[in-house]
Amino acid sequence: MSDVAINTKREKKAQLGRYGKVGHVLNEMDDRLGVAKGGKTFMDKIFPDHWSFMLGEIALYSFVILMLTGIFLTLYYVPSQAVVLYKGSYLPLHGLHVTEAYASSINLTFAVRGGLLMRQMHHWACDIFVGSIVVHMCRVFFTGAFRKPRELNWSIGLTLLTLAIVNGFLGYSLPDDLVSGTGIRIAYSIILSIPVVGTHVAFWLFGGNFPGTVIISRFYILHVLIIPLVILGLVGGHLGLLVRQKHTQFKGEGRTEKNVVGSPMFPIFMAKTTGFLLLVGGVTALLGAFAQINPIWQFGPYDPEKISYAVQPDWYMGFLDGALRIFPAWSFHSFGYTIPLEVTIPAVVFPGIVFTLGYLWPTLERKYTKDNELHNLLDFPRDRPKRTAAGAGILSMLFMLFIASSTDVIANFMHISLNEVLLIMRVLVIISPFVGYIVTYYICKELQGVDGASQRKTPNIVTRTATGEYVAVAAPKNVNDQHVELEAVPVPNYVTSDEVVEATTSGVRTVER
Amino acid sequence: MPLTALKNRTAWMLVTMILASSFVFFIGAAGASPKESPYTTSRYNAGTPNSSIVVNKDGSITAYGNGAIIYTLPKTSLAALGQALYATNCAACHGDKANGVPAHSSDPRYANVRAGNYPNLRGVGSAAVMFWITSGRMPAAAGTNVQAVRRPPRLTYTQALEVAAYIDSLTKTPGLPYVPNVNLKGGSLSTGASLYALNCAACHTITGDGDALASGTYAPSLRNVPANQVVEAIRTGPGNMPRFTGNLSDRQVRDIVKYVTGYIQHPQNPGGLGLGGLGPVAEGFVGLALGVGLLCLAAFWVGERQ
Amino acid sequence: MSEHEHRTPVVFSTAHENDPHMQPAANNPDGMERRIALLFVVAFLLIVAFGYCYWVNAKAWTLGATMGGALFLLGVGLVAWGKYLMPKGPFVEERHDFASSDEEREAFAATIVERGGGVVKRRPVLGGLLGAGLGAFSIAALFPLLGSLGPRPKDTLDKTDWKAGDYLVDITGRRYNVNDMAIGSILTVFPEGKNDDPQAQNQDQVVLIRISDSDFTTQKGRENWGPSGYVAYSKLCTHLGCPVGLYEKKLQMLVCPCHQSMFDVRNGAIPNFGPAPRPLPQLPLKLDANGYILARDGFNQPVGPGYWERK
Repeated sequence: MSDVAINTKREKKAQLGRYGKVGHVLNEMDDRLGVAKGGKTFMDKIFPDHWSFMLGEIALYSFVILMLTGIFLTLYYVPSQAVVLYKGSYLPLHGLHVTEAYASSINLTFAVRGGLLMRQMHHWACDIFVGSIVVHMCRVFFTGAFRKPRELNWSIGLTLLTLAIVNGFLGYSLPDDLVSGTGIRIAYSIILSIPVVGTHVAFWLFGGNFPGTVIISRFYILHVLIIPLVILGLVGGHLGLLVRQKHTQFKGEGRTEKNVVGSPMFPIFMAKTTGFLLLVGGVTALLGAFAQINPIWQFGPYDPEKISYAVQPDWYMGFLDGALRIFPAWSFHSFGYTIPLEVTIPAVVFPGIVFTLGYLWPTLERKYTKDNELHNLLDFPRDRPKRTAAGAGILSMLFMLFIASSTDVIANFMHISLNEVLLIMRVLVIISPFVGYIVTYYICKELQGVDGASQRKTPNIVTRTATGEYVAVAAPKNVNDQHVELEAVPVPNYVTSDEVVEATTSGVRTVER
Repeated sequence: MPLTALKNRTAWMLVTMILASSFVFFIGAAGASPKESPYTTSRYNAGTPNSSIVVNKDGSITAYGNGAIIYTLPKTSLAALGQALYATNCAACHGDKANGVPAHSSDPRYANVRAGNYPNLRGVGSAAVMFWITSGRMPAAAGTNVQAVRRPPRLTYTQALEVAAYIDSLTKTPGLPYVPNVNLKGGSLSTGASLYALNCAACHTITGDGDALASGTYAPSLRNVPANQVVEAIRTGPGNMPRFTGNLSDRQVRDIVKYVTGYIQHPQNPGGLGLGGLGPVAEGFVGLALGVGLLCLAAFWVGERQ
Repeated sequence: MSEHEHRTPVVFSTAHENDPHMQPAANNPDGMERRIALLFVVAFLLIVAFGYCYWVNAKAWTLGATMGGALFLLGVGLVAWGKYLMPKGPFVEERHDFASSDEEREAFAATIVERGGGVVKRRPVLGGLLGAGLGAFSIAALFPLLGSLGPRPKDTLDKTDWKAGDYLVDITGRRYNVNDMAIGSILTVFPEGKNDDPQAQNQDQVVLIRISDSDFTTQKGRENWGPSGYVAYSKLCTHLGCPVGLYEKKLQMLVCPCHQSMFDVRNGAIPNFGPAPRPLPQLPLKLDANGYILARDGFNQPVGPGYWERK
């Protein structure tokens, strides 16, 4: 029969087997890579459906957008402090001698088609990237998702936040405009403030005294290659650990420490998450279209003797700037050496303590609670009032420091004296962690005490008895308060219209709302 | 019980708060109007009379300018009209003799009008008079403010000239500088932008929005200041503003004015909404409220809420 | 097959199409399909519009609006498809312990400690030498790497270019005569010849202020530093090195625009508010025969922010 040619389509199809060309390709791949088993497991991986599990995805997808728009920008940006004559279309700069970095940033804004949009999307995506990491970490912290076995992933996440902030600052500095140049000057002084090694580190990084001639090119290679690579690697590790350890999930009917309930990777979660990627892209592009960010042409080029008032760093550096503003002028000087405590403490020691506390928190909590078990079910924040209150306290303080970074803007808007605003902020920053802790602690306690806190409210019927007593009786349950919920089943491979042979273990349960 | 309600509705409250706050912010940013409400507290003594300020010895304020700005002395014939206007509008504080000693210091109705709080106007120069009156800062609303605010002017331009002529008539030689008239033709925008960044941005901010300074004072916004008032302010240094005389030539001042009236007052915002020129604070707010906020809402929709 | 026996067997499960888990979440799936289709169509049109806007080089916002709108609508449609039209579940998977058995753990530990550690223990000298060699290499490699990154600070930060007899010039290189500035004027100046060099501009920048018309003493021991009311201070803030360019004439105060430190101009620029720990160093001035302003001497202390080696 071998000499009978296969020529009809049907025969070709039959030759390929039950799953046609797709199946054929998959088989060929499996022959070489052995992907079938792992692939199948991956396609079946269950993702919890709760909305708060999508927050980390905002961060992931804004990083994707950062990379795509960033690649566009590298094609036009020139990381050089060589001085060139600007001859472009923006008149207030025409004929000025500016650095190539600044000139190329202006040119990619005004002369490159789509350049302005890409620049703005890149910057907005950065704001969203760091912001969503913070929001995601809040979810992880307050629900106790960092507990054993996920301490390592918490540390990776915190490292990613640090790198995101650092890389955001580096990128913000690249256009070499007046505002960002001031930021670099401040960063230089902060490095100088480190005791013993500060001056050496600053001179190594900047190739000498500020401003030097190498800082833009060094920041550039850090910003576009080295740090993104590290971030990419850590994101890979973060997700790898997530797949290995599987998701946590909230407590609920049918959810145990031994299972995960939700939607399978393929196709349901994949559709949702790809859609979400597009949504993140859409929001970023719309912001880039309608909200102007970092108009470096209005700021002009950086010169060491120029300065603008009301200059703040990007929001994620705000807490540092606020701390620098409100810290008292305590410089330490002795034995011919100086420790500029007014800089070292708020800008080096304080963030050091906050981040170290972040890294150590899972260990500290395990030691303190003597809880060495594996946890896959999440806490409700109210059930762990001390942790929740501590987190709220630290966040309150950071938030107050962030507010303190705009003392001048507050004074201007509210028509009060700058001096008074600063004193008020000092007080607020000091008391905010305690107030945040106490208030949150009692709210948690209060919520714990409320019966059926997650249930729908039922009215009480108050009746007066014959003896004149008032009695409150709970109203009978409304039938609509009950609904039928499906029990979770393993993801089926086949869907058949035949008689049900092997019924799924689907049960139904009745749930009170 | 309210706490239970809170828990059930936390997410929706979050939604409302984000939307409401971004709305409020946009309204605020859009209507970033010049300050209208004056300071009501008295924290600062209005200070030393500025009559002792002397401009260049040669009598000309132009260091090496050439007609970029023309300074004109108000006609002396206007002084008579100006005297009447001065008596009704200025004398209460600055004194009958314009020497900074209030006229009615013994009258209880002017209890807050104390001698020594008000500048001596003799020899201040007509440019200074024009600046304070045409910007609506004078006549001031109340006796002692930390800083007079820009308002719709009470006196017309001609009336201001008349007052200036009257004050000029009080001294043997009229004070300097005279009323400037700037000719913006031929000015260099890029020189102006550069000089603006070096000399003006430290207080008025690089986008010209102004901001709060020490002890309740502030640098006003430059968004709606006419060209000649910019020159007057640079040349006379009103209030806390430093005075720029020989260190900026008329050409340089003309360039600054060209940049201020051109690009500070009509900024190019090809990237969309200018966000009130507040820079990273506003951007951070929008990024968090609209960017992260909207995407959290999206996540709220994409996921289940149990 | 025998080598696969210890693996978790692949599970094939079957669902009936009437199984409630396999039903879409939408009440009216056909209606939902139409709505999603509409989203996709509009998104497609927006992408076409984006292409057009790019082609004709329309304004930036049109590019963003069309692209953002298209992405947004595609995203909404795709999410809605997954959320409303695909099997609603819920589905579950078991969580398998990933911790190994006790035997496996012991075998692993034994490998590291016994097999590896034993080898080293038997030859401790070699192990020590190897460690010393690698350690020395990393230190030796580190120093040239860091050393080439930048020069050693030495006294760079302690000094400025100002020296006795330097004329004060503005950014354009112009010298200043005693009559050039009125009282209440401020000017940024550099030592003559250094006004165009960014490195010097940073370290040497000085604010020249005229606060009176007669000689002015800002502090004891500075009696002849302020001829004809001209005083000069380093423009580098002693907090973080921002240029202190904000001068309030009536308050006689220099304010740092970055963190609002306030310096009293009349009193040796002593900070009276904010985080700056030290006064701005004052540059002693004098006038030459023609009335031009020049430096009587250099600064008597380092300018700018604090650092470890600052005396």
